[in-house]
Amino acid sequence: MGKTDKQTDELLPKPELARRRFLMGSMGLVGGAAAGLAPGVIAAGNNLPPNVPAWTRSLGSGVLTKPYGQPSPFESNVQRRTVDWLTPDRIASISFTPLADLKGIITPSGVVFERYHAGLPAIEPSEHRLMIHGMVDRPLIFTMEDLMKFPSTSVIRFLECPANGGMEWRGAQMDGVQFTHGMLACCEWTGVMLSTLLSEAGVKKGASWILAEGADGSHMSRSIPMAKAIDDAMIVYAQNGEMLRPEQGYPVRLINPGWEGNTCVKWLRRLEVGDKPWHHREETSKYTDLMPDGTSREFSFVQECNSVITSPSPEKPWKQRGKYWVEGLAWSGHGKIKHVDVSTDGGVSWREARFTSIVLPKALTRFGIELEWDGSPLLLQSRAIDETGFVQPTYAQLKKVRGTSSIYHKNAIHTWQVRPDGSIANVQLS
Amino acid sequence: MCSFHRALMVLVVVLFAGGMFGGGVFAGVSSADDGAGYRYGYGKTATIEEISGWDIDVRPDGKGLPPGAGSVEDGEYLYEDKCAECHGSFGEGSNQFPALAGGEGTLTDKRPHRTVGSYWPHISTLWDYINRAMPYTQPESLSATEVYALTAYVLFLNDLVADDFVLSPENFATVELPNKPNFVPDTRPDTHNVRCMKGCKEPGSIHVVTSVERQPALPVIAQITPPPAPVGEDIYRQACGLCHDNGLTGAPKPGDDRDWRGRVDQGMQVLVRHAIEGFQGETGIMLPKGGFSHLSDDEVESAVVYMVGESL
Repeated sequence: MGKTDKQTDELLPKPELARRRFLMGSMGLVGGAAAGLAPGVIAAGNNLPPNVPAWTRSLGSGVLTKPYGQPSPFESNVQRRTVDWLTPDRIASISFTPLADLKGIITPSGVVFERYHAGLPAIEPSEHRLMIHGMVDRPLIFTMEDLMKFPSTSVIRFLECPANGGMEWRGAQMDGVQFTHGMLACCEWTGVMLSTLLSEAGVKKGASWILAEGADGSHMSRSIPMAKAIDDAMIVYAQNGEMLRPEQGYPVRLINPGWEGNTCVKWLRRLEVGDKPWHHREETSKYTDLMPDGTSREFSFVQECNSVITSPSPEKPWKQRGKYWVEGLAWSGHGKIKHVDVSTDGGVSWREARFTSIVLPKALTRFGIELEWDGSPLLLQSRAIDETGFVQPTYAQLKKVRGTSSIYHKNAIHTWQVRPDGSIANVQLS
Repeated sequence: MCSFHRALMVLVVVLFAGGMFGGGVFAGVSSADDGAGYRYGYGKTATIEEISGWDIDVRPDGKGLPPGAGSVEDGEYLYEDKCAECHGSFGEGSNQFPALAGGEGTLTDKRPHRTVGSYWPHISTLWDYINRAMPYTQPESLSATEVYALTAYVLFLNDLVADDFVLSPENFATVELPNKPNFVPDTRPDTHNVRCMKGCKEPGSIHVVTSVERQPALPVIAQITPPPAPVGEDIYRQACGLCHDNGLTGAPKPGDDRDWRGRVDQGMQVLVRHAIEGFQGETGIMLPKGGFSHLSDDEVESAVVYMVGESL
C-alpha cells in the first residue's frame, strides 16, 4: 500500500499541520498531523453541517504539489482491470475501461482499455520512424517532427476491440459492465489524415491495400483497404489534448474510425502500399468470424451499432426505491446514433431515451431516461438505432445467424436484472 | 449509412481498380507524374537499404519471401528448443498458449478447435508470423533458414507434408491449407431487428437465463479498495513470470528452495545486480531486466525480493 498511502497523504489537506508549521516556523516541532488534530476531527460525519469541515478551516497544499495532476485519491477505485484467466500472461493481454464510473463521452486517457500483443514497448520518440513504401512514387521516412508539421486534424471517435463482449456468446458470465463492454473508449484524436501522407508519397496505379505495422515485438500488422485509407483513416500522435499515452501507441498510431480497434495499429512504424491484402495472422487466425456452418468471415472491419446501460449496473446498484436516472452509452461504426430506447420489462415495451451528450458520428453517445423504481424486479435493456436505420439485435437474432463461436462483433441488446434488493445481475433472455 | 456511403466506397474501389487514381490521385495535390514533386517535402526518401531492414511481410502469393530453405528435420530440433515450451511437443499447446496442430473437422462443433491445420488459410501467414513475432520473448531472432524449417515442421505436425519435406520459395505455393476455401467475405448487416415500441413480445415467453458458471477470479467492483502500488509480486507477474514460472532458459522457479539457495548465498546485492545487468550462468541466461528494459532498477529489485521470499 506504500505508494498509494503516500499519495493520499500528500493530497489530503493537513489543516492543523499547516497551521502549526506556520506558527512554529523552523522550530522543528512539527509533531505529526495526527498529534495536532483535535480528537475526532476526521471521524466520518464531523465535516457535515452544522460543523465546519476541516478543509474549510485551513490551507490546502500549494501549486505544483503534483506537477502533473491526478484524480482525487477518493476516486482510486476507477481503474482499468483485467481478467487473468483470459490470457496466458499479462504481456499479450487486455484490460478493460471502467465504464460505470465515467461521465460524458470522453474516456480519460489513463483508463482507456489496453490491448498488447507483445507488451508495452518503451519507444523513444526521437528514434521512432514511420516508413511509407511499396507501390508509391516516393518511399518516405518521417520523424515525429516531420509528422507534426503536416496540417493536423482532431476528431472524437470511439475505439472498440472487436472482441468486446466476446465472453458472453455462450451466456452471461461477467459481473460488471467493465467486463461485459469495457474494451471500449472514446477520445479526441489528433494527427494527420492518412490521405495526406499517401498523396505526399504518391500512390501508384493499381494500389488497393495498405499494410500497417507496429514497432512492438509482435510487429502487429493489418491490411487496410485503400478506400478506408483515403476516406477517414488518420495517423494520430495525440489523444485528449496531449501526446498519446504509451498504452495507446506513443508516439504514433493508426485510427480507422468505426472499425475494429485491432486495425488501429499502435506504435506505427510502417505503411506498405500494395495491390492485395496480406492475410496476416491478425486477419486470418484471429479477428475472423467463425459461422455455424464452418465458414469464416474475413476482413469484417466495421463495429456495428451497440449500446449498454452503465448505471445501474453490477458496479452501480440501486439502494432504495425511488426515482433513478438510468444512463448509458451507444455507438455505431456506421455513423451517428439516431435513437436509443430503454425497456424495463425485457423488451416487451420500450421508451425512447434522450441524448445527454453531443451526438457525433462513430463516437460514444450518452443517453439517459428517468425511471421510478417501486422495488419490483426489472429486466433493464437499451436498444440503439443508428443513422443507417440499423436496429441493435437481440441475442436470439444474433446467435441465430452467428452461433456462439464467432468470438468477435457481439453487439446484442444487453440485459441487467434489477433484483428487489437493488443489486444488478448480468442475465440473458431466451 | 448510408447506402449512399456504401455506394461511395464501392465507387472509390472501382475507380482504383480502373487505375484512375494513379499518380495524381488526390485533386489539388501534386504527384510525381506531373513533375511537381512533393507538396510539403517533409520527411526523407527511404533508401532501399532502409526499407529492406523493416520490410518483413510475406503474402500468400509468396511476395516478400527471402531466399532460403528449411527442412522438417531441422525444424524439429529448432521447435523443441524454441517453441515446445509453450506450444507443446506435438503442437498441442500448453498453459493457454495456442495449439498449432489438431482440431481437423471441429469447426462446426460446439467447441471448435482452431489451429494452423484446422483453421488457418495460408502457409504464408505461418511463415510471416513466426518471422515477425516468434519466439514470443525474442521476436526477429530467427534466420530465414530457421523460419523455413519451423514452418515446415509445423506443417508436418499437421500431417500436411512428409517428414523429408524441405520448404523453399520454389515449392511454397504447392502447400495448401485445408480450411482456405472456407474463408468468405463479410456480409453484414446480417441481423434485421425492427424498432417495435409496444407489445413487442409475449411477457410470458421471456425466460431469464442467469449467469453461466461464475468465474471466481472476478472482483466485486463495488468493494474494491485502492490497489497497492506495483510491488514485487506485480512486477513478477507482469514480466518475470514468463520465464521463471516455467523455468525457461534455466530461470529458477520461485518456491524451488534448491534452485535459489546457491544464488542467494552470493548475497542479495549480487543477485539483484545480475537481474538488472543480465547474467550468463552455467544453466542459462538472464537478459538485463529479463528484457523488460522499461522496468526501473527498484522494480527489478522488488521482483527479486519477491521471488526469494517465495523460495526460502
